[in-house]
Amino acid sequence: MIRKAVWGGAALACVVGSSALYAQSESTIVTVVKVTGETWFKRMEEGVKEFDSNTPSIAASQTGPAKADAAQQQRLIEDLVAKKVTAIAVVPMDPSSLEGVFKRAMDRGIKVITHEADTQKNTLADIEAFDNKAFGARLNERMAKCMGESGKWTSFVGSLGSLTHVQWADGGAENAKKYSNMTLVDAKNESFNDANNAYQKAKEILRKHPDIKGFQGGSAIDVIGIGRAVEEAGLQDKTCVVGLGLPQDSGKYLESGAVDGIGFWDPKDAGIVMNKVAQLVVEGKPITDGMNLGVKGYEKVSVKKGAGAGVIITGEAWVDVDKSNYKQYPF
Amino acid sequence: MMTTSTLPIAVKSAPSRSWQVMDWLVRRPSSFTLLLIVLVCGVVGAINPTFYSVANLFDILRASVVLGLFALGVLVVLAAGGLDVSFAAIAALVMYSLTKAVVQFWPDAPLALILLAGAGGGMLLGALNGLLVHTLSAPSLIVTIGTQYVFRGFLLTFIGTELFMNVPPAMDAFGKATLLTLNTASGGQTQLPAFVLVLAAAAILTWWLLERTLMGRAVFAMGGSLNIAERLGYNLRTVHVFVFAYAGMLAGVAGLMHVAANRLANPFDLSGIELDVIAAVVLGGARITGGRGTVAGTLLGVLLVALINNVLILAGVPSTWQKAVIGAFIVLAGAVFAIRRRG
Repeated sequence: MIRKAVWGGAALACVVGSSALYAQSESTIVTVVKVTGETWFKRMEEGVKEFDSNTPSIAASQTGPAKADAAQQQRLIEDLVAKKVTAIAVVPMDPSSLEGVFKRAMDRGIKVITHEADTQKNTLADIEAFDNKAFGARLNERMAKCMGESGKWTSFVGSLGSLTHVQWADGGAENAKKYSNMTLVDAKNESFNDANNAYQKAKEILRKHPDIKGFQGGSAIDVIGIGRAVEEAGLQDKTCVVGLGLPQDSGKYLESGAVDGIGFWDPKDAGIVMNKVAQLVVEGKPITDGMNLGVKGYEKVSVKKGAGAGVIITGEAWVDVDKSNYKQYPF
Repeated sequence: MMTTSTLPIAVKSAPSRSWQVMDWLVRRPSSFTLLLIVLVCGVVGAINPTFYSVANLFDILRASVVLGLFALGVLVVLAAGGLDVSFAAIAALVMYSLTKAVVQFWPDAPLALILLAGAGGGMLLGALNGLLVHTLSAPSLIVTIGTQYVFRGFLLTFIGTELFMNVPPAMDAFGKATLLTLNTASGGQTQLPAFVLVLAAAAILTWWLLERTLMGRAVFAMGGSLNIAERLGYNLRTVHVFVFAYAGMLAGVAGLMHVAANRLANPFDLSGIELDVIAAVVLGGARITGGRGTVAGTLLGVLLVALINNVLILAGVPSTWQKAVIGAFIVLAGAVFAIRRRG
């Protein structure tokens, strides 16, 4: 009898204990990326995991569609809304197509945070590593310096629906206006995030404009495709290729000189920041202009009103990389 | 094949000249494809004379290889009355897992062995399609839409998702091997890659299979009418497995060509190419409902699609309009084909 009571008590303690534990990690923040497994988003996942292990009160995880497809991403988010997670931090494939599901999520009390979507209306906070036009201008400036501030140049985008890519291309074009000898030709070529498409388009451009001097890449694989086209044409020393790129993937072409420089923001930091902001929102703390989010490049963020009711948080978290320093970045 | 399968009705009542032209077009749908190619060349050449350059020709041929290998496989499946949309997924699965395996376990593996393994792997996956189509007696379009997701999902879940740049040396060397190198006016160079020969070999093999073997007859018979083919004594199961395995084999080889040409393996590549390939086969005169199609026509269709994909910048079409132009072209050509068949 006594024994039974003891066991019963122990069992009860167990139940109480585990539910207390459960209550502690009740907040769940799910980061939804454009496509799962890409090197870029793997690096982001490192950040999400770091945040998760440093923040015991919150269970943070990352997910994403197997294919870079707006419809598949939307379905994933709908699932999360149905599961009623505490917050979602999304890197939208196509911001406009997600407005509806984000609105439904917020109506259900789910906090919505976005990244790389400064036109998103239904979000509480959108996080930008930097001002996109400024980043585009910076890439373009490096390309312009490399090509001696004169000659023909063109720009690439992953797709015309990828807002940030288009903003980089536009920011670049804006910057190039400073130099009267630079001419933009056949702008915003779509690579559809496939290096082979970037390669074919770059070849066609080299044929149409044999004297072209500069290429500004958009998608992270654009510089790889363009770099190969430049290398095959033997034009490493006559052209300047600068764009978004990952140090490991672009290393080969940085070495050969076919790609002259890459720029990026560290997706790991972006992952941490998205989750930190989500945590602030969940805890009901204010987000203020100039605040320090505790991550490099986000120490003094600018906070503006966004397209909807939310805010846009902008850091200064770009990294300039070329042949001399790409080995410092292990991704 | 076209000539034997077309009814000779039009010939009897064709006294006028225009009727003769019509008749010739009806009997040879691929002549219309050729006409379109000439038309596109003429228009683009008029807009931008740099179109007529050897470099451009080489680039279009280069872009035709992967597209063409896929298209030949689709042709065989289509001729048998089926439709395969899983070939790109097969190619991605084969190219990525094989490249990864070679890099990890046997970096110095000879090219012939890699190619053989790729063809074999693709063949097995294709055979699985064929078995499913036959045993479930389900529409092959639905079955291959399903297996496509299975293959892609398997690839990303179990094999890997990271792009890698260090492809095996044998494949790298094969991708760089050239048949011909020419200097261009701008001081650069242009090469005709050796892997175009793979497409040529596959075309000859496919032609021989379809036109010179009993299996080829069985394929067209089955595409014409499943019931009649069965009554004629063809083993439908064998034919089903054969056509899908053949398409799978070509897809496996195409995947390896993609890696060799690109000098990188990215498991996300080759998605979205399906519709280009099917468009190429149909524009090459194959009937979407089966029973008809030629290798020569398909190659012309491939050339046409590769051409359109590679001249829009030259023609000065802004990138916002390029997809629309490609789409309009396919609708237009498809409509002309449909009208001509009815007429």
